[in-house]
Amino acid sequence: MSKLDGIIAEFQEAQGEERLEILLEFAESLPPLPEEYIPQKEAGLNRIHECQSPVFMWIIVSSEKKVKIYADVPMEAPTVRGFVSILVEAFHESSQEEVLACPNDLIHKLGLVSLLGMMRLSGLTSIIRRLKQSVIEKS
Amino acid sequence: MSEYIHPEVLVDTQWVADHSGDENVRVVESNEDILLYSTGHVANAIKIDWQNDLQDSVLRDYVGKENFEKLLSRKGISPEHTVVFYGDKSNWWACYAFWAFKLFGHKNCLLMNGGRQKWLAQGRPLTKDVREFPSTDYKVGEMNEEKIRAFRDDVFRHIDAKKPLIDVRSTGEYTGELLHMPDYPQEGALRGGHIPGAKSVPWSQAAREDGTFKSWADLKELYEGNAGLSSSDDVVAYCRIGERSSHTWFVLTYLLGYESVRNYDGSWTEWGNLVRAPIEKS
Repeated sequence: MSKLDGIIAEFQEAQGEERLEILLEFAESLPPLPEEYIPQKEAGLNRIHECQSPVFMWIIVSSEKKVKIYADVPMEAPTVRGFVSILVEAFHESSQEEVLACPNDLIHKLGLVSLLGMMRLSGLTSIIRRLKQSVIEKS
Repeated sequence: MSEYIHPEVLVDTQWVADHSGDENVRVVESNEDILLYSTGHVANAIKIDWQNDLQDSVLRDYVGKENFEKLLSRKGISPEHTVVFYGDKSNWWACYAFWAFKLFGHKNCLLMNGGRQKWLAQGRPLTKDVREFPSTDYKVGEMNEEKIRAFRDDVFRHIDAKKPLIDVRSTGEYTGELLHMPDYPQEGALRGGHIPGAKSVPWSQAAREDGTFKSWADLKELYEGNAGLSSSDDVVAYCRIGERSSHTWFVLTYLLGYESVRNYDGSWTEWGNLVRAPIEKS
């Protein structure tokens, strides 16, 4: 079972509001952005413009073909932050193939659509798209 | 705040700090982000989610009267409580919840000027403790729908009567260049543009950088000087789903004292998808 499958299973086993609690735990556990990326963030680089909240992501493929993801999302946008944290947890140090196999409808698979509603899924799918695109460009 | 026509409806953060423990007061936080309340909120604040609590899960509508009564009873709010709203994004969603409470005729509603943003900017404390209030037996008295809510047939009549409509979306959405609000692609419509005759006053022009409302004089200039409204007008405001226009509804009704302002909550997601509904582009 991949890390992502484990996360999906965790969400699916939870009921209703419990899923939001798991998402909040992810939001709270997003690792801080490594210091070397802070100047780039302050210069406005690597922002995902499709998201209304300021979401910054650095997606790197190492010489050993490992994907590395560093991200920054304000705590005032916990839903987006939680979602990004799931992607970091699932794909940091994973292979490119694993990233490309990520379902585009991950939010549905996590059972979050009815809780968040269509209106609030803004930008989340575009984060997956951006992640995959970066991995393809760097392969 | 004293120049506003109904300044008593708007309170500052200090007032909320002083009254959040007052038994006659209930503080309600309403945000776009469903998790934000759980990351920390004003002491004793109750969470009301604009979608899961206020909207019907099947029908495109607000919850019915009975479900509103159940919701408020469960949250420990009675018709006698003064409810003070605040939230994220310059109080968009707080205004939306305020408007929904008014729809169901709740009498004493207040808004905390500047919302979460102002509270945090002042370094005021947040708590994760969720206070459970004793449940009540809330009963809706008189509904207020006719006075503050417009449906699409009302809008057709408004166009025929050449009465003022205010489009509070961004300029790109008004001109038809954008089919959705920047960053909210799923709130799209099949057609772009605006309702014929509507004047464009993006909602954000009524707010300052710090999330508080602009002064009475600036608001008067914005809506009367620029958009040509007058306080005796019968106004309908709309946006895309009715949330940004509840912010404008609040401004026109309470800060400028207009007596007849309705929010068309069907807004562009209805009008821009409606067969043969007339549209202007410019």
